Amino acid sequence: MRKKSRHVAVVGCGQTKHSSRRRDVTLPEMVSQAVFAALEDAKIDPGEVDAFMVGNMQGFGGVAQPEQWIGDWIGASDKPVIRIATGGTTGGSVGQAAYYAAASGLYDVVVGTAWEKHSDSAEPGATTGLMHVGLANVFYALTKGFSLKNVMTASVAGAAAGVAVYQARFYMNRSGCKIEHLDAVAAKCRRNAAKNPYAHLQWPGCTPEDIAATELIAYPFRYGHVCPASDGASAIVVASEDFVRRRCEKPVWIKGLASYTDEENNLQAENWSGVGVLDPSEQMGCRVSAMKAYEMAGIKNPREEIDVAEIYQPFPSQELIFAERCGLFDPGTAWRAVESGDIEIEGKMPLDPSGGVNATNAIGSSALQRILEAALQVRGDAGEHQVPKKVKNAIATGWGGNTNYITFTVLGDEPGPRRW
Amino acid sequence: MGYIKDERPTTMMVGGSWNIGAYKYKANGLLDEYLEGLKEKKLIGSMCMGCGKVIVPPRLVCGRCHREMTERVVVSDKGTVTTFVVSPPIEKGKVKAMGMDAVELGLFTEGEVIMPAYVQFDGADCNLNLLILDADPKDVCVGMRVEAVWAENPVGALSDIEGVRPIPMECGGLDENQKKG
Repeated sequence: MRKKSRHVAVVGCGQTKHSSRRRDVTLPEMVSQAVFAALEDAKIDPGEVDAFMVGNMQGFGGVAQPEQWIGDWIGASDKPVIRIATGGTTGGSVGQAAYYAAASGLYDVVVGTAWEKHSDSAEPGATTGLMHVGLANVFYALTKGFSLKNVMTASVAGAAAGVAVYQARFYMNRSGCKIEHLDAVAAKCRRNAAKNPYAHLQWPGCTPEDIAATELIAYPFRYGHVCPASDGASAIVVASEDFVRRRCEKPVWIKGLASYTDEENNLQAENWSGVGVLDPSEQMGCRVSAMKAYEMAGIKNPREEIDVAEIYQPFPSQELIFAERCGLFDPGTAWRAVESGDIEIEGKMPLDPSGGVNATNAIGSSALQRILEAALQVRGDAGEHQVPKKVKNAIATGWGGNTNYITFTVLGDEPGPRRW
Repeated sequence: MGYIKDERPTTMMVGGSWNIGAYKYKANGLLDEYLEGLKEKKLIGSMCMGCGKVIVPPRLVCGRCHREMTERVVVSDKGTVTTFVVSPPIEKGKVKAMGMDAVELGLFTEGEVIMPAYVQFDGADCNLNLLILDADPKDVCVGMRVEAVWAENPVGALSDIEGVRPIPMECGGLDENQKKG
């Protein structure tokens, strides 16, 4: 008979303060801050950890193998360390890998940690990192008459922001969402971040008008809409059900999870071929991930059963796009919840009470932070940005790859309906 | 918490650089078929015999059906804008790539407004990223009909298509909402 997997819970959460320049710490020091905070939170001795899942954006900060340094800083000597890099979803993949390691029965206590230290590079996004995302393709195109003017045109729209700005207009055109709604979402993120001591862009009392007054980068995105490049790290400790029963007071169960991809959304596939996704706001990978994870978690009606969502949203349009894809709103209607205030901390469907990626973006860490923040909400330990209702279920997403990878995690106060 | 040493409140700054230019990649060469087409002002795509999707430039395997896309088709050089970006007036020092400045190089003029767009050419099931030329930003909208602006003497390079421009006769009939789109 096939052996079933074990239930797994998040039993510890730790993160560092995020800011644009963490010059007070080196990379390993920063990561160790988050890991030891999580272990303290879990009341688990570093010696009890069986394995570590670690990750950040590949090559960012000019360090291709940061795990070679951090091992002894986080107490991982003589223990399995697996490094994971899946672009923007890295943190989500790290969190899910920690789940699998414990659910499989191989390990009882697993630490997942993810980070980014943007300020170690002279350029935001770090040439060595961001260029590597599509370097082969760009070089290939340059040899085939892709001119310098084409490169400059791409940089007008601006790398990742460029992908998102096209995506935003697709969404706005088919949904009726206006730039004012994006202003309101961004303002909400800044206000929520002000209640989160670890967040980066904190702006108490920020209004949509404050955001609307910022410079227009490329319609519909203003300066005030865009996420910062943050330095910071986050870590979670997960444990198997046997360990949880013996040792843990406030477990947050990982009830369901999925990570599906769609085909590339971002114009040019390998070898400069075209891609078959016409509308990059379609995000079919998120739809599939959500359906699979809800099924695993026994969630039948996400609108009723999900109490809070931590969505990966570097840009305000993505908070709305992904909230719909997660089944929290009908397609093309999430912007109405902006008008009604439903997405506020005290609203009916709070989105990113922590401020989300829009307020804090240490890229590798961002998707793990969503899982961490969702866990805090379920525990009731989110502090000032805790939603004022009983949280039974929360979701956490990640978005990365070539804008087509998704991680989706459902957390709750009880284990999922069955073992897998 | 962690191993932060009190006697060292800030990190040392150590500079360094990394030459990232020394790689050799393998390309499958399918793009050459597309470039040959450009010489004759033709847009060549590959068709999936499983789902019927046409992808430009040609692609080896269909992303959804995973079938080899062996058929070649020529799509129209007229199409529709599916999304677009309007830049603010370009200023010196603001548009840079690989350490070079676009205005200094004369690629764009100071104050110029550029409009990169996704264009779906008729018969294709994908977008191409091209500049909208000869148009007032106020008149550009999603759903706008455009045609390719070809280089005078195409040589079989990606730059043979300079961009797209509106087809005036096919532009009308959009309501105000679509224009704001």
